[in-house]
Amino acid sequence: MTQDDVAITGEPITDAMCRFSVDRPVYPEKSSYFGSKEQAEGSALAERLFAIDGVRGVQVSHNQVTVRKAGMDEWSVIGKQVGAAIRDFLSSGESAVSDKFREAIPSTDEIRERVQDVLDTEINPSVAEHGGVIRLIDVKDNVVYIQMGGGCQGCGQADVTLKFGIETAIRAAVDGVGDILDVTDHASGRNPYYVASAK
Amino acid sequence: MPRILLLLPTTTYRTEAFLAAALQMDVEVTIGSEQPNTLARLNPTALLTLSLHDPGQTARQVVDFAAKHPIAAVVAVDDQVTVAAAAVCEALSLRQNSVESVLAAGNKHRMRQLFQRAGVPSPGFRLCRLDDGAETLAGQQHYPCVLKPLGLSGSQGVIRVNDELEFMRAVGRLMKILDAESRKRKAASRALLADSVSAVCSARQGDQSVSLTTHFLVEDFIGGPEVAVEGLLSRGRLHVLALFDKPDPLDGPFFEETIYVTPSRLSTVVQEQIADCTSQAVRALGLSEGPIHAELRLGTDGPSMIEVNARSIGGQCSRMLKFGTGISLEELIIRHALDGDFEPPVRERQPAGVMMIPIPRAGKLREVRGVHDAESVAGIERVTISAHVGQKLVPLPEGSLYLGFLFARASSVQAVETALREAHARLQFVIEPFEINNEPVKKTLVPADSQQ
Repeated sequence: MTQDDVAITGEPITDAMCRFSVDRPVYPEKSSYFGSKEQAEGSALAERLFAIDGVRGVQVSHNQVTVRKAGMDEWSVIGKQVGAAIRDFLSSGESAVSDKFREAIPSTDEIRERVQDVLDTEINPSVAEHGGVIRLIDVKDNVVYIQMGGGCQGCGQADVTLKFGIETAIRAAVDGVGDILDVTDHASGRNPYYVASAK
Repeated sequence: MPRILLLLPTTTYRTEAFLAAALQMDVEVTIGSEQPNTLARLNPTALLTLSLHDPGQTARQVVDFAAKHPIAAVVAVDDQVTVAAAAVCEALSLRQNSVESVLAAGNKHRMRQLFQRAGVPSPGFRLCRLDDGAETLAGQQHYPCVLKPLGLSGSQGVIRVNDELEFMRAVGRLMKILDAESRKRKAASRALLADSVSAVCSARQGDQSVSLTTHFLVEDFIGGPEVAVEGLLSRGRLHVLALFDKPDPLDGPFFEETIYVTPSRLSTVVQEQIADCTSQAVRALGLSEGPIHAELRLGTDGPSMIEVNARSIGGQCSRMLKFGTGISLEELIIRHALDGDFEPPVRERQPAGVMMIPIPRAGKLREVRGVHDAESVAGIERVTISAHVGQKLVPLPEGSLYLGFLFARASSVQAVETALREAHARLQFVIEPFEINNEPVKKTLVPADSQQ
């Protein structure tokens, strides 16, 4: 295999996030999320990607690599560097994720149990004050899927609650959690606690 | 890592966009809101509760917080909190608009006075008191004219009248709007441009006799198309980020914003006149830093400044704007707040537009139909229904909300406009009229483009 043989397509998801699909597995049937350079240490693919200026997060999942960046460089520039890093990794024959990182991540069942515990003891008693509820929908690898209900569904402050409350509490209590994704259909919220009232 | 403070009212539409921008930058983020977040105890350095209705108190609270957690920049996400942001920056010695300039931008009478004094082309105006008597006032006006509250936004309470009878009816309507606004502000601390802000305004400007809830403006009506300028001020210099045409005529009686498209189809000469007029207006107000959003009329004598706000474009409209390599308006605003010398990149070349979906009639929203159909129109990027099922809908001039937003990008401005109109025509809203005298009422299916 030469590096030129590897086909990679990039699909920006947001200004800050882009998904790269590779024509072969980079981390077969598994998924891991790295939120920092320190976490990526020893993991061959993530380490290469964090060496690129502006990269702030990496999700490696079977044949997909999702990269989160900061800064103003466009994806067409960073994408080329990401592509080169993936090709270099594949030609190295190394494992995408180090044994040390893999061993540090709790099992899916363990993550599910601990996240549910955080929701039950720390988060839901508080959001209930606004008629809200946070449900754990699924855990896949180390990615956590939650849904916001009641007063949180469609609430103008749902993003603040998710990013600065729920994420903080879960990450503080459960090591190794990757992305925490909100799968709520906020547009269907019938009783949001804060309704946007200004133009 | 520098820390930014986002002043974020709990009821703003701008939360998602500003958070997305801030969280992808290398900054620590603290959110300051007027109501406590239920999870604040889990992250006290990120979730602050501030007395945003009282700018002085807000400044003291932030100074205390900043003693332990230094703040590099403060960003007001919308016009409810621009005064508080200016007061905080003043207290922290951060470069920002002065409190006086922001207060002037939030008070239409003060703004008109400053425009007049500086010779900025703008409509003639008269300040009136609600209790002066509608009949007396009606006899003193030149028609057509426009009645305008001093402190409301989103065209709420703005009414064009053509004769004395219409004037008297409009005053009655305006009294009810301002009365409701006054009661709302007293009842809810979340009305941030509240009496205390008004008091600061009066005290700082020596304008004690003028109140936002007892006075209103009567302005000359200027015919012609309307445009909007999105700009960024840096050390007093205006960078025009986007110039929007508003293809739907705004001739009254109410002034409902609908379609914005950019780039403008106006000639370069006219665009330069618009930029010059906007620069004059911001200088007159004393604004020097951060985002501005201006509305101008293109009358027979050239551009006339309707108003300048010390904030970025409202609602979710900023979604249509991308700059340089694809950065959002919110990121650009935060970058400028962190680095006053930041040179904003130019807007992308592709034409873009937004339609603010007006409320076709008063009632309770029961269902929205045709969203997927609207999304399938070529050029439409996104359909966002921001009103929720069960929400009470109040059209202009009493209301100030929209049902949602349509976003389009296409190869020409005309194609953008056509896509927005086509998508809008495919939406239907099931609105249940308000109950009258406890009599049951039937649900009504209202095509999106029907009028009240």
